[in-house]
Amino acid sequence: MANHSTATSHADFVQHHFVTADQQFDSAKLGMWVFLVTEILFFGGLFTAYTVLRMTHPDLFAEASTELDTLWGTVNTLVLIGSSLTVAMAIKSAQLNQTKNIAINLGITIVLAFIFLMIKYFNWMHHFSLGIYPGTAYSFTGIDDPHASIFFSLYYLMTGLHGIHVVVGIGVMTWLLVKSLKGQFHSEYYTPLEIGGLYWHLVDIIWIFLYPLFYLIH
Amino acid sequence: MALSGYHLDFPLSIVLPHSLITPKKFLMSSSTHHISTDKTLLTVAGALFCLTLLTAGVHYLELPQPWSILAAMFIAVVKAGLVALFFMGLYWDKRFNMMLLITSLAFLALLGGYTLLDTLTRVHIIPGF
Repeated sequence: MANHSTATSHADFVQHHFVTADQQFDSAKLGMWVFLVTEILFFGGLFTAYTVLRMTHPDLFAEASTELDTLWGTVNTLVLIGSSLTVAMAIKSAQLNQTKNIAINLGITIVLAFIFLMIKYFNWMHHFSLGIYPGTAYSFTGIDDPHASIFFSLYYLMTGLHGIHVVVGIGVMTWLLVKSLKGQFHSEYYTPLEIGGLYWHLVDIIWIFLYPLFYLIH
Repeated sequence: MALSGYHLDFPLSIVLPHSLITPKKFLMSSSTHHISTDKTLLTVAGALFCLTLLTAGVHYLELPQPWSILAAMFIAVVKAGLVALFFMGLYWDKRFNMMLLITSLAFLALLGGYTLLDTLTRVHIIPGF
């Protein structure tokens, strides 16, 4: 049997089933990427539905899209890109042992995520007030197409699923913020920051595609 | 004693990601991780901001289809690529993680491709629609 001669060189943050901190880091990262693959295919079903429906209803998509506010869609894109930047900055801060900067950057990330959700909330409330609901609850009469609700059902499904991911992301970022305030991250150990960051960047990438697909049609 | 060497008495280590690609780095410390400079991160973010404004600008040009959607998707792919390569660190990372991403996109293309082979060759995709 293996005696645990290597265990003596283990730092606190390396779990006993890993040989080195590097191996633990790379395994965690690989696991996160596998999860992100499932996320891409999860959203992929909706992107496929979007493709099929837009190809069969090109005029509806062009007309219905004008009900969405391009300006606020653009602002939200910039907000999410900014939050991706601060997450990357938080990781860099951990690598350089700038403990305070980790918390500051994560704090900004959380604020930006709330701004994103707030803009989305006001967008949705505006649509609801017009009777633009998903599915059979749709009662808006401003678009002269019997299948107008198809566009908005997809819109609510895709931005809604993305919004849920942003909410989960806020939870993850808050957890990371607490850990960083406890001083648990430093240049030798910042694995949760790294893989939490990967998740957040994927949520950003999905929005990068949702933005032109819903807001930039004509 | 051979039994104390992880690479001798625990064959599963062969399938672990790190050893799969660079066995010699297995014992090196985590100081080998790439650290992005402020300049790199700010440049990438600046490019993403500019590309967002560019794609919005192209929208107001009202290009005829299919150029409008092609331009929008091209810019989106470039932006996503920048995020994946530099914010997610794939540019400096083990190639295995890049392979996972590309594999997921290949399967997404299969899903979309086979679905369109069906829906594009029907008269009525869903009765009533």
